[in-house]
Amino acid sequence: MLQWEKLGKLFDPRDHKDHPWMREFAQSPSTLIFDDIIRVYFCSRPAPDEKGEYKSYIAFIDLDRKNPSRVLRICDKPVLELGGFGTFDEFGTNPVSVIRHENQIRAYYAGWTRCESVRFNAAIGIAISNNNGETFERIGEGPVLSYTPHEPYLLGSPRIRRFNDTWYLWYAGGKRWIKTASRTEPIIKLRLATSSDGLNWRRDGVDLIEDKLDEDECQAGADVVERAGRFHMFYSYRKSQDYKGKDGGYRIGYAVSDDLMNWKRNDELAGLGVSADGWDSEMANYGHLFSLDGETYMIYQGNEMGRTGIGLARLQNCPDWFKP
Amino acid sequence: MRWNKLGKIFDPTEHKLPNGCLEFAQSPQALVLANRVRVYFSTRSRDQVGKYLSHVAYVDFARNMREILDVAKHTVIELGGLGAFDEHGIFPMHVFDDGGRVLGFTTGFNRKVSVGVDSSIGLAISNDGGRTFQKHGTGPIMAASLHEPFLIADSFVMSIGGIYYMWYIFGTKWKSSSENEPPDRVYKIACATSVDAINWQRDGKQIVADRLGEDECQALPTVFRRNDLYHMYFCFRPCHGFRNGGNSYRLGYAYSHDSISWTRDDSKAGIDLSQDGWDSQMQCYPHVFACEDRVYMLYNGNEFGKSGFGLAELV
Repeated sequence: MLQWEKLGKLFDPRDHKDHPWMREFAQSPSTLIFDDIIRVYFCSRPAPDEKGEYKSYIAFIDLDRKNPSRVLRICDKPVLELGGFGTFDEFGTNPVSVIRHENQIRAYYAGWTRCESVRFNAAIGIAISNNNGETFERIGEGPVLSYTPHEPYLLGSPRIRRFNDTWYLWYAGGKRWIKTASRTEPIIKLRLATSSDGLNWRRDGVDLIEDKLDEDECQAGADVVERAGRFHMFYSYRKSQDYKGKDGGYRIGYAVSDDLMNWKRNDELAGLGVSADGWDSEMANYGHLFSLDGETYMIYQGNEMGRTGIGLARLQNCPDWFKP
Repeated sequence: MRWNKLGKIFDPTEHKLPNGCLEFAQSPQALVLANRVRVYFSTRSRDQVGKYLSHVAYVDFARNMREILDVAKHTVIELGGLGAFDEHGIFPMHVFDDGGRVLGFTTGFNRKVSVGVDSSIGLAISNDGGRTFQKHGTGPIMAASLHEPFLIADSFVMSIGGIYYMWYIFGTKWKSSSENEPPDRVYKIACATSVDAINWQRDGKQIVADRLGEDECQALPTVFRRNDLYHMYFCFRPCHGFRNGGNSYRLGYAYSHDSISWTRDDSKAGIDLSQDGWDSQMQCYPHVFACEDRVYMLYNGNEFGKSGFGLAELV
């Protein structure tokens, strides 16, 4: 089992009153390392509208590379505008995952649209930055991963990685919608798409991780790293209903693979659980791993699906199976 | 081209229709069978909140198109389930005789919040001569893509040299005429190709020139070959104020030598509004087919086909 030293909460948008578009939530953290800083992208929300509906924007903060708990800068405005009337990302850009490619930075994100019978739908788009990630522009008005006969709705939670010359996009695919007493809930499972250019994707719609809770378990946020000759996935899973509190809320799971397609689930090895009290006492989720200056970190979101902000943990042990 | 109008040939209010449908027989699409011509159309029921749901039904005509033999009383194809692209209607369903089976290319609708709906194209297959169709998967074969961001609809399929060609439309923008008006859609005709009728190659390029400017809406292409030319009919209108009056749908025409590049020339369409009667204000949703050496055009008239469809024959 991995052991993590929790370094505490890094950033809570509720502490910063001068960004109304970033009033609460810091979700889906994703990092880029620069010479002096660690830039952390995440998704944040303004106050909900009169019907209680949220929009979500992509933001970033810069951390001091020498002291990652120190926030040096908070971006002033969203790095990407929302889409126009009728587009897949008209009502939100969330979650997000960023990666460098040549002189550009690419953001893979899920767009939110709102529907009548179900609460929303999502598809995955790409935006590119030519100014070191200060702002992004979408590469087209439509999504890059859209619905197919066997992936009929809800493509979200993208996590982008590149191993050797192949691009890998883990995402959550909607299997079905269920109706609860008060609302509709999607059942989402982790899937993989592969690409030689990061733009045109192949996918077969296979669920990667076997269910643990029940067949309605929801899985999202799959981050994969290569260590000791194998691939290690850290993802989040929860119940399909009543998941906004401690009982049914997201936990960080773990699986290992030799070929990136066949995964063996062993959640206990992840080693990062909820705290006894505080900002991550009900939920720890959407973990993203990065290595920096000889250390391994996991950045993750806390209670209420990240409403309370994001925090950082540093790996304390390094078992043979996880040696860099 | 010159068309001889044969008048309205089907009125949905004169027949008992499946799925509790009462009005509308939109976008007629023909399947020529050995002993009849089966004409599929989209008709409408209302759901619990009073909104329309489009369902596919059909009427069988004798091969001379003069006599109605039967009207479907059963569900031809089910609407989709919760959250599916075709949950709130299928309109239209284009049928393609693929030898031992019939392919149904559906345009499925799902209601949205800021704009009224989105649509995608699905595939369904019939192994009983077009009586019922089973869907290929829960989702669409052609949904929004990078350069076709919404409103994928209105397929027409033809096989040329072993390749499937699909003419269809995609949305380019949603646009309000003024601040207080809900947005109206703009869509254009494009072409996709496929070797298996499931996976389609497309490039998001408009193929028929605008006549009314960049906000012209172009819909429901139908293509046929005659005298070494490909001929396309479609309907078009301005973006706003199109429900009645001067901005209503009209029929447009284009021709092509190679099925790829098209020359638009509506003056050669050879069919226009009638002085009075069922197609005097609007003509839309054309579908051309051949039967017993005659070439016919099915189409809708006033009110988008609320009171049925008519027929014309190529002279």
